[in-house]
Amino acid sequence: MRQLWIMILKDLRQRVRDRSVFVFSLVVPLALMGVLSLVTGGFGSDDPGLEPVTVAASAANDDQLAITVLDTVESQEVVDVTLNRMSADDARAAAGSGAADMALIVPEDFGGSLRSGSSPTVQVVQGDGAGLETDVLISVVVGVVDQLHAASVAAAAAGSAGLPPDTIAAIGNQAAAGAPALILKEGQASDEQLSFHGTLVAGQAGLFLMFTVGFGVLGLLAEREEGTLARLKSMPLGHGTIMASKAAVGFILGVAATGVLLVTGSLLFGVDFGSPLVVGALTLSVVAAATSLTFIVARMVRTAEQANVAQSILAMVLGIAGGAFFPIQGSGFAQTLLDINPVGAFIRGLGISAGGGGLAEVGAPITVMLVFAGICLVIARIIPDRGARA
Amino acid sequence: MTEVLTVQGLAKRYGDLAAVDGVSFTIAPGETFGLLGPNGAGKTTTISMIAGLIAADAGTVTVAGKGMGPSETAAKRHLGLVPQELAIYPDLTGRENLSFFGRLQGLNGRDLSRRTQEVLELIGLADRAGDLTKNYSGGMKRRLNIGIGLLHRPTLLILDEPTVGVDPQSRNSILEAVEALSSEGMAVLYTTHYMEEAERLCDRIAIIDEGSIQAEGTRDELIKLTGGVDRINLHGSGNSVAAAAALRLVPGVQHVDGDGSALSLTVQDGPSVLAGIVTGAGNAGMSVTSVEITRPDLESVFLHLTGKALRD
Repeated sequence: MRQLWIMILKDLRQRVRDRSVFVFSLVVPLALMGVLSLVTGGFGSDDPGLEPVTVAASAANDDQLAITVLDTVESQEVVDVTLNRMSADDARAAAGSGAADMALIVPEDFGGSLRSGSSPTVQVVQGDGAGLETDVLISVVVGVVDQLHAASVAAAAAGSAGLPPDTIAAIGNQAAAGAPALILKEGQASDEQLSFHGTLVAGQAGLFLMFTVGFGVLGLLAEREEGTLARLKSMPLGHGTIMASKAAVGFILGVAATGVLLVTGSLLFGVDFGSPLVVGALTLSVVAAATSLTFIVARMVRTAEQANVAQSILAMVLGIAGGAFFPIQGSGFAQTLLDINPVGAFIRGLGISAGGGGLAEVGAPITVMLVFAGICLVIARIIPDRGARA
Repeated sequence: MTEVLTVQGLAKRYGDLAAVDGVSFTIAPGETFGLLGPNGAGKTTTISMIAGLIAADAGTVTVAGKGMGPSETAAKRHLGLVPQELAIYPDLTGRENLSFFGRLQGLNGRDLSRRTQEVLELIGLADRAGDLTKNYSGGMKRRLNIGIGLLHRPTLLILDEPTVGVDPQSRNSILEAVEALSSEGMAVLYTTHYMEEAERLCDRIAIIDEGSIQAEGTRDELIKLTGGVDRINLHGSGNSVAAAAALRLVPGVQHVDGDGSALSLTVQDGPSVLAGIVTGAGNAGMSVTSVEITRPDLESVFLHLTGKALRD
């Protein structure tokens, strides 16, 4: 064990002096996160950031149902609304001139029309500054008008049936008290889907992990090329000490780099990946998977240069297929391949963790990554070592 | 068992090629043993098996009484290897390289510090110990390469062609260091294709070619294999044919070959018969302008044993 640590510390010292590990493991992924974020909307949180809206509204003061429509628009909690009452013509003019973002014109006798069973038309005029905010308000208007219409229809039907007045009122209220027009709920689109910035951080961490772990096991090839492997083999080292030290170095670098990327990315982009314990378990699992893959690479290549090329190809394929840049979907066997991708499993796991999932909930992605690691180790033991024969 | 190293029937094949075929020899404490042979003779493969880098197909290696193999750590504790290729880390300093390999050999604490400093002074790198080795000259790297091998005071030091590509000054420094180690009682296995190095350093020499040992013994024992004759080459003008005929009658001359203006003679004890040869050639009508005496050496031995030059 003492010799193992001596070799690990020597390798880590070399990697620190070499500095390329910092470039590939931290500088490049962080820079890429920044560039991608800027291209797609800038730094900051994933809050869409709805702007305040000014609405020019027209409604009869004595029409209680028309006033209800305006009150509903003004009191909804999604968009900050400033509602100015004026005549219908002035409201249209305000929207046209840009004085208001939207004009909302409730027709005369709106309530009477509803009570008579007809469907009055509420006019909406969007100004030049219309956007997502006015679309939200339009959906609110549509919703509240539909509810009021449903209530009046129900009440009319009850009246036709000869029900007593208090029963008719109850039926009308019941119809009007349907689901609210719009509910704002903070949460994830699905249990396994990260926000844009969350995906960006997790994806880049997973992608560049494949490069980082390469500094460990593939260092074995550098030892062979530098001639130091022969000297190490002449030393009284325990069986497997050399390989174990390289794997440990890759693992340590992988855990450290992934941890730093997740923490830094979270701070830069306001991403919360959830429980540190769960994130830690996911990180250890994906680093184990990535490290084990490098054992296969180390057996299949003859030189460190070949290893770097192979490692780069694997990193890009697994990273892109895992959703490091954008979500990838497939079907059938293709989807199965995507599911067993450790980078994809890592991102899925972080999605579950970010949504509040615990260790039990991330069991599936962790299992995928650990099984992947096990299979890679078995394959690495089976295939011949081409480098040793070089 | 007093031998530090015992090699018995060592063999290694790569496909149809017998890289090493039945090599056997021993090295006693304080003895410097040379493996002399051309490139591709099997020296490095032999050393790789002795150092436990690769497994032998047949035969045994015993170092300080302990069996050697790739997973035999007990025997490796007695071994110091100086590979033919440089085996140092360019991103570490000279001191860090020594310290790292010393720790792997079991040195630590004050013993490691003291021994590291001793070796740095021995190889002349004490004043550059804190520099990264990538900034060292080729000769400095070579000396550090050797220093790492002897850091833990091994019972057996193996040097595989340590002077290849080294400038004359560093080469001499390396040879002096090996002589000093040998005088201190360290057993040394030294491979080379430089005849002069083998003659200078080695108590006994094995001549190896095509994977097998052709002959083994002290320098004088090996030279006797050639018959111990000297070669004299005469250059000049005049009647060389008559001169050749006359010289065949001179006592001590065994053989004369003529080639135009030059004659090549094989003689017993060249210096003692040289005067008679020059006089005889002159009397026969050949005016001698230059004389060259070649005494038998390991090159001659190798030529005698294998029919080819050592550096072919």
